[in-house]
Amino acid sequence: MDETRTKNRILDLRNFSVDYGWGDGAVRAVDNVTMHVDRSTVVGIAGESGSGKSTLIYGFTRLLRAPGVIAGGEALFNLSDASASEGNFINLVTATESEMRRVRWSNISIVLQSALSALNPVLRVRAQFDQVLKTHRPHMSKSQRRDRTIELLALVGLNEDRLRRYPHELSGGQRQRVMIALALTLNPSLVVMDEPTTALDVVTQREIIGKLAELRSQFGFAMIFITHDLSLLVELADEIVVMYAGTVVERAPAQTLYDSPRHPYTLGLLSSFPPMHGARTELTGIPGSPPDLSDMPGGCRFHPRCPYAMERCARETPPLAQVTNESRSVACWLHAGDEDAAVPVELRRVGVERHPPLGAENAEGET
Amino acid sequence: MRIIGRRLLLYVLTAWVAISVNFLLPHLMPGNPIQTLIGKLQGQVTPQEIEAIRLSFGGGIDKGLLSQYFTYIDQLFHGNLGVSITLSSPVSTILKASVPWTIGLIGVSTLLSFLIGTVSGALLGWTRGSRLDALIPTATFFQAIPYFFLATVMLLIFGSNLHWFPVLGAYSQNLHPGWTWPFVASAFRYAELPVVSIVLSSVAGWMLGMRNMMITVAAEDFVLMSVAMGLSKRKVIMTAARNAVLPSIANLSLAIGLVVSGALLVELVFNYPGVGDLLLNAVQNEDYPLIQGIFLVITLAVLAANLLADVVYLALDPRTRTETVA
Amino acid sequence: MKSIRFPRSPKVILGLCIVGFFVLLTIFGPYLAPYSPDNTSFAPNLTPSAHHWFGTTSLGQDIFSQTLVGARATIVVALIAGLVATLLSMVVGIAAGYVGGFTDDGLSMLSNVFLAIPGLPLLIVIDSYLPVNSRSNSLVIGLVISLTGWAWGARVIRAQTMSLRNRDFVEAARIIGEKRYRVMFFEVAPNLLPILASSLLFTVLYSIGAYVTLAYIGLTSTSVWNWGTMLFWAQGNNAPLSGEWYWFVPPGICIALVGTGLALLNFGIDEFINPRLRAAGLSAKQRRSLGLPRRQRLGLTPVVHSASQRPSTPAIASNTVST
Repeated sequence: MDETRTKNRILDLRNFSVDYGWGDGAVRAVDNVTMHVDRSTVVGIAGESGSGKSTLIYGFTRLLRAPGVIAGGEALFNLSDASASEGNFINLVTATESEMRRVRWSNISIVLQSALSALNPVLRVRAQFDQVLKTHRPHMSKSQRRDRTIELLALVGLNEDRLRRYPHELSGGQRQRVMIALALTLNPSLVVMDEPTTALDVVTQREIIGKLAELRSQFGFAMIFITHDLSLLVELADEIVVMYAGTVVERAPAQTLYDSPRHPYTLGLLSSFPPMHGARTELTGIPGSPPDLSDMPGGCRFHPRCPYAMERCARETPPLAQVTNESRSVACWLHAGDEDAAVPVELRRVGVERHPPLGAENAEGET
Repeated sequence: MRIIGRRLLLYVLTAWVAISVNFLLPHLMPGNPIQTLIGKLQGQVTPQEIEAIRLSFGGGIDKGLLSQYFTYIDQLFHGNLGVSITLSSPVSTILKASVPWTIGLIGVSTLLSFLIGTVSGALLGWTRGSRLDALIPTATFFQAIPYFFLATVMLLIFGSNLHWFPVLGAYSQNLHPGWTWPFVASAFRYAELPVVSIVLSSVAGWMLGMRNMMITVAAEDFVLMSVAMGLSKRKVIMTAARNAVLPSIANLSLAIGLVVSGALLVELVFNYPGVGDLLLNAVQNEDYPLIQGIFLVITLAVLAANLLADVVYLALDPRTRTETVA
Repeated sequence: MKSIRFPRSPKVILGLCIVGFFVLLTIFGPYLAPYSPDNTSFAPNLTPSAHHWFGTTSLGQDIFSQTLVGARATIVVALIAGLVATLLSMVVGIAAGYVGGFTDDGLSMLSNVFLAIPGLPLLIVIDSYLPVNSRSNSLVIGLVISLTGWAWGARVIRAQTMSLRNRDFVEAARIIGEKRYRVMFFEVAPNLLPILASSLLFTVLYSIGAYVTLAYIGLTSTSVWNWGTMLFWAQGNNAPLSGEWYWFVPPGICIALVGTGLALLNFGIDEFINPRLRAAGLSAKQRRSLGLPRRQRLGLTPVVHSASQRPSTPAIASNTVST
């Protein structure tokens, strides 16, 4: 038995690649990504638009549309539940249509950015739940389905009078709550969130994030949370994966990444958004724009935009390597060898106030 | 309900425009067609009939145009559409006999072609890129053939050459019209070829429209979500089709007009005793009262069909029903 | 990276070929005809032969010559009607969409009324009152047809104008004080070009049908040769029932072919306007050679195993990748 296939691993992506187009016309949108998600943990994926973060999740869930194709790698998903003594993995990349259908929603559910476009506009809220339950729980009676739906709506803080509403009759926040409740219908072990709060105002955004944290601790599902807003991720995620131009450039526990980013791109992302807590810092952003997928720079893909670029960066591609003695990895030549010596002072984010864990607002200021 | 009210208003307005056009045309056209007509009729029909015709055009020309207009409307509401010149009987009586045939023929064919076209278009859109795509150029070709030409070819091949279908007329001449079993059976039998012709001519339009909508809707997030939810393939297709059919129904108003226009000529080809056949005979004999009466009846029927389509659309799309947002 | 190439699919190329052929026929048809279409000096009811490719009518006229000569009137009238109707729908649509308010309400109501009235019966009523000498006038007939065919285009153009109204460049033109009609026809209209083109194709298609129909029921002058009058004479002489298929099939097929050509061209415009309709990626043959399924099923992203195929240089510049 492979040692990484432990019973607590939910998803294991290995050298996962996705192309748009085929043959000579192919451009690589996700390149050799290796990452994993453990049971009941939240992994955040951050990056600008075009970094391949969405392509990655649509890729391993096999939902990517033409001309997207999976160009290699494995996506192992654990079908066994928490009480099982060992993992029971299925490779989603080679799964058949009917195998995929069994995994879908029962094990992996998805929440999209816009719930308005993700919910079938001609079905009432109740019917949206019904079609899921009828498909996956055919033995349930009509009243059982109704009870389950009411229960789920209550979980996300919605009253049962929403049952008869159509999606367009709900507010943006309510729709996203319905979507989240829908995602939890079958108690999946993994919920994938593709920028679920981007379309919402800041207040609603916070409410939803808070609700998600609460639900996660209550039900213990694992989550992949995609956003370009790193500061949001720090609140929710256990581990953060930063993607740039289709590759993983840095991976670290959330707080570590926030306090001491190692990759210049991560630093740039952190400076693009105001932190939700703590001192105000100047928003600097990242100069330039992400590279064209069909015209990728050689060496490190970030080097044309990197303020710390060295001569070597244009020549050689840095591997994603583990930082000595730490549970984090980074793909940057600044951190090759004797790393402390090479890290520029700015990257250490000295003086950034540590933010309190979520739900501990009262203890603000404590370090 | 407010939407239905608005549509109803539109149709009432449309009916009024049609009625007014009907009135104005003979009065404004060069050459004074009414006088010419009445002059031609002197001695051919009874003076009472001439008076009825004169009234149906709004009365004597010595009165002002506006007064004639009101007379015309008044006559219309009393069911006086004038007297047919060639058939020497009131237009309303003639219409009563032919309208049911047309409604039956066009109603059945439109329904059939909408159903067949929508279902096949949905499948064609869903399986885009498959071998079924070869149907598209063929369908396009059929769409471009004038209804009456296709009907003529069908008549020639399946009617007069192969004798698969009875041709010419709406029922066997040996039978007496009435609600008897042999008569109804014969009416169905005689309607087969005209219905097939109209369906063949009109089905491609529905099919191609539905195909495009299906492709457009299949790219929507909620269709992808229904896959992500692990729903069966049939349910996923239904999700897309249920949403894709809405624009088809919304466009019904344009389509009904076109289908009716085309189908009227099919009646001519098959000598089917509906208003189409009647209209074309009237045109050839310059039977103006009959032409105008038929135009009004067709317009009103099309408007009624539009209203029906609106009601169906409203029932199918919840977004149009909402007036208060929670 | 927006690709503004006109889609060069086989459908569009076929459409261009067909339409091009008939345009040539419109121009040169009358000169190419071997005989005068009115010449009745041949034997009647001849079946197709080397001398008379499409046979002769029961009056002894050469059907091939009639078909060649008839192209011009048919297509010229349809073109007049199509152009006038498109112009009408452009003016009404842009004015309604751009000006808004009462203008919009009024013009929308007007186009909805014209949409709801069945076109052909209206056409027949108007035409039956036309003096006989007007019926032989292509311009008059074209104008009457355009009157019944503009409303649909106006509705589509209005919708598109409304979505353009608030774009930056329109806003900018308004702010620098350009006159309203200048903004409408020099800023907005050029951006409606694909829709206008599609609308023109549709109205020409509609006009061919309408004109041929009018001719077929004898409402145009029978002295002007067009495909509709040919069908009128064929029907009048009972050609369908007496098996003289060569009399009515050639004009019918010509009408259907022109229509098919126009509709195929419209596919190209549709794909241009709505990128979702564009075929994604490779031809069926290429897909087969790469071991991909013939068509992609939604929810089962295919896997290609030749991961080494990564290109060094880009081949498709128009590939827009969204994540």
